[in-house]
Amino acid sequence: MVVTRMGDGSFITMTEEEVQRDVEEGMADAVKKGKVEPLGQDEIEHIVEICCRPQKFVSVEKGNELVLTYDSGTLKVTRLGIPIGMPQILQLYERAFSADSLELAYVHYSFKPIKMIVPEEQYAVAETSLVTTAPLLYGAMPNLPLYTQPDGPCPNAAELLPAGKIEEARRGQEEAAEYAIKDMVYVSSGVYEAGADGIDFDTTAAAGDAEFYATLKATEQLKAKYPEMAIEIGMAGEFVLGFHGQLEYDGVRLAGLYPHKQVKLAEKAGANVFGAVVNTNSSRTFPWNLGRAITFCKACTEAAEIPVHANVGMGVGGVPMVMTPPIDCVSRVSTAMAEVVKLDGL
Amino acid sequence: MDKQELINKIIESVIGGDESEAEALAKLALDQSFDPLEIINEGYVTGIKQVGDMFESGELFLPELIQSAGAVKKSTALLNDAIKGDTKKDKGKVVIATVEGDMHDIGKAIVSSLMVANGFEVLDLGRDVPIMDIITRAEEFGAQVIGTSALLTTTMVKQQELEKTLRKEGLRDKYKTIVGGAPVTVRWAEKIGADAFAENAGEGVNKIIDLIGG
Amino acid sequence: MHAAGMGGIRTAGDLVARMQLSRKMRLNEAKKYVADKLKVSVEDLVDEVVMNELRQELDISTVYAGMGEMSRGIESKFKIAKLLDLEINSVQRFLRKTGWQQ
Repeated sequence: MVVTRMGDGSFITMTEEEVQRDVEEGMADAVKKGKVEPLGQDEIEHIVEICCRPQKFVSVEKGNELVLTYDSGTLKVTRLGIPIGMPQILQLYERAFSADSLELAYVHYSFKPIKMIVPEEQYAVAETSLVTTAPLLYGAMPNLPLYTQPDGPCPNAAELLPAGKIEEARRGQEEAAEYAIKDMVYVSSGVYEAGADGIDFDTTAAAGDAEFYATLKATEQLKAKYPEMAIEIGMAGEFVLGFHGQLEYDGVRLAGLYPHKQVKLAEKAGANVFGAVVNTNSSRTFPWNLGRAITFCKACTEAAEIPVHANVGMGVGGVPMVMTPPIDCVSRVSTAMAEVVKLDGL
Repeated sequence: MDKQELINKIIESVIGGDESEAEALAKLALDQSFDPLEIINEGYVTGIKQVGDMFESGELFLPELIQSAGAVKKSTALLNDAIKGDTKKDKGKVVIATVEGDMHDIGKAIVSSLMVANGFEVLDLGRDVPIMDIITRAEEFGAQVIGTSALLTTTMVKQQELEKTLRKEGLRDKYKTIVGGAPVTVRWAEKIGADAFAENAGEGVNKIIDLIGG
Repeated sequence: MHAAGMGGIRTAGDLVARMQLSRKMRLNEAKKYVADKLKVSVEDLVDEVVMNELRQELDISTVYAGMGEMSRGIESKFKIAKLLDLEINSVQRFLRKTGWQQ
């Protein structure tokens, strides 16, 4: 019997045949929803083999290692309640945690509140860039809801839509997107001028198509201003929610796009790295979620011309939705992403 | 127009979100003395189920879903008025909110819209809502179900607080509770003693139907 | 995810990451570019033994900050910029701030 988990982290046992069936069903769900190509039989068998290995911790074959970028980098330590500053956290990442890249992030991980403290963030970036060697990104979320009532000036689509006020809801989102673009460009410019190698737009499109639109426009404006700036666009999920429904970028309707189409727009806007995200279904098994995540990420990687880094962590990429992601699942996802998908990074 | 043709047109109007057409067809059904309950179930409910499926698969989006829901709501209200006695059935009343400290209300808005589309009477309290406010409003509204959404690991504890407060106030048996949100799982729902967990909006509607037989 | 990572400055992970982030290179292209510039094989890029020695020779930081006169931080990045034929933003800023470059 194979010991594995549910998407909520609970241990379960399955036969190898059941593991294979769930990998195939997860894949079929991605194929149906994303209209992407299914995995080959050898790829399915490879995923099943990774799931069925008896070891707690698994890893890639030598030569299949890939590059790591992060989201909410320094926050991961800040949240542990360890009272050390951001430059020191990133020194730990570099010297103790074998990080390939570094990400500096303020505790309120959204552009709107950060705009008030850009000078402080510039100081942290400048300090860190003196004492670290690896590429340094600054990360934050576009977080469009912060611009809507009651937390911001724009009419709130989440209140207007259920009331049937569709046009008002659309105008509110467009207005919020303009505020977000302004803040994203302002903050990103500030930290880049302080010495960061680039910016990570994280959890993009969590608020739907208007937020994805804002991120693409901000990327476009930043690349026009700083052609050498590295920009990573990391998504919030596999699907761009149509909360507005009519917004387009480069003639493409944003609502309903899956990773293999999202990445093409990220490229068009000028992004250097695309962070593909596939959400974990906590009611399904780990093999089901892994089969699904691998199918979406493979289609994305094949469509991409820029590096693709899949999001692997709590509730994404097939990893169970728990605060302490289990190492047996995280290491299996990482291995499958490297060996089956041939991703550029995680 | 025969009954099947009318039902097909109703389904079409619901999928197209055409409120005036949906309403006109409801009136036509009444004029032709078709069974209103049958017209609701075969036409409007079938239509909105198809809309729900298309929404789930990304073929149409929230604004279209809202339009379809609006079309169903007005038309079924007309037909409901013509239904006599016990056969008239209300789906149920649901209070829904994003818990205190959490400003993520988009997922909740989708759930709320989908429930309205499915005929529930929904009181949406918005985001960042204190537990006592949720309970007070549920009492005033006469809700059968309290649904809460939490998008943060730091705010999902409020769902547990709701369960504890309901028990403390002696109100727990009066309501069915359902929880959702990105970090929320069935494991969490069981741990805190919620009646149900929903992975997504569509599942939320089905679970509520299961809970109260709406 | 570290189960599959390149190893940062223990190996050559930071250098490969830099090529992805600055030049949009896909993984294999970035590995080959760095290997060619370092005059090692692609396999050597993830070998802690080879890379630790090489990083010491090239003076581009290792995880051991206290190793003799080793460069660290911005000092290493000056050398990495030349080695990989890149402009590194913090290095350019340093040059401007110290008056070495307008």
